Amino acid sequence: MSNQNYYIPHGTYWPVIGSIGISTTFVGLANLMHDVSWGAPVMGLGLTILVFMMFGWFGTVVNESISGTYNKQVDRTFRWGMSWFIFSEVMFFAAFFGALFYARILSVPWLGGADNNMFTPELWEGFKATWPLINTPGAIGQGGTAFSTSFKLVDTWGLPAINTALLLSSGVTITYAHHALRKGHRNALIAWMIATIALGVLFLGFQITEYGHAYHDGLKLTSGIYGSTFYLLTGFHGFHVTVGAIMLTVILYRIQKGHFNSENHFAFEGVAWYWHFVDVVWLGLFVFVYWL
Amino acid sequence: MDIIVIAIIIVILFSLGSALVGMLRGGKKGSDKMFKSLRARISLSVFLFVFLMFASFMGWIEPNNVLPTQ
Repeated sequence: MSNQNYYIPHGTYWPVIGSIGISTTFVGLANLMHDVSWGAPVMGLGLTILVFMMFGWFGTVVNESISGTYNKQVDRTFRWGMSWFIFSEVMFFAAFFGALFYARILSVPWLGGADNNMFTPELWEGFKATWPLINTPGAIGQGGTAFSTSFKLVDTWGLPAINTALLLSSGVTITYAHHALRKGHRNALIAWMIATIALGVLFLGFQITEYGHAYHDGLKLTSGIYGSTFYLLTGFHGFHVTVGAIMLTVILYRIQKGHFNSENHFAFEGVAWYWHFVDVVWLGLFVFVYWL
Repeated sequence: MDIIVIAIIIVILFSLGSALVGMLRGGKKGSDKMFKSLRARISLSVFLFVFLMFASFMGWIEPNNVLPTQ
């Protein structure tokens, strides 16, 4: 395409369908939280509309891309769009890691009398500032006693280490897939992609098993600051692995359709970077939750 | 020992960021930079995992689950 001017999108109804989907989802969610009987089905309907919108809209973009409608300028906007998406993802996980560090390094030691807080140990008799925080202090108005949340910690060399090995292996396989794509080795690319997706799915299976064990051992979302940071970080990470595995499956489908070549494969690059990012988040989790 | 682990993590984050810059730039040069940075990223991550196992085996570092339980 010789015309390198700014690309003006044609008229499309997908944004309207997306808005209807999001609104329906939130009306359903709000009513679900108020225990209204139709909350859950309406939310389900909203999510179905959203999935329908994604299929339709992304499909339209893919078809436009392979029909040669896009120029270099459009390519740049895709790259910028991906980088803003990544920026929001980095800030999202930064907030949760920030909460973990704040609790561990500042607020829990303060409760134990660190820095200039010499009177705080008086608030809860017998409170010990340890991490993981086993004894969570109760509300002051309710007698100010420390109550035990009593949970067993997950064994680092059990499932967490296996899961780390699995996810790191998937990082290796996607790197080989990337290499194969750049060299134009189609069969190797497909094989490495399948291996990456399989490792991701296996990771999710083990993660569900680990949640089962942790929950059985008394570690719940309500088990004080340790339980909440543990489940929020690992839970949102697991959600991201799920999304990543879906994106990889779509890319695998597109590879089989012959949408990419060794020079032009931005969709693959975007998803590959995302997978590496999710891998690094897990490595951070493994190190800061289970080790340091 | 913690410092070494954190230093490796910082280098991993730097490689991931460098890959992002390559992806943003695009073209042959950007694509090469992205691939090389991602390869460095995964190599360092595998090294860190093996290092943690080795350090734990040698008793240089202890996982969090040995902290007081009920």
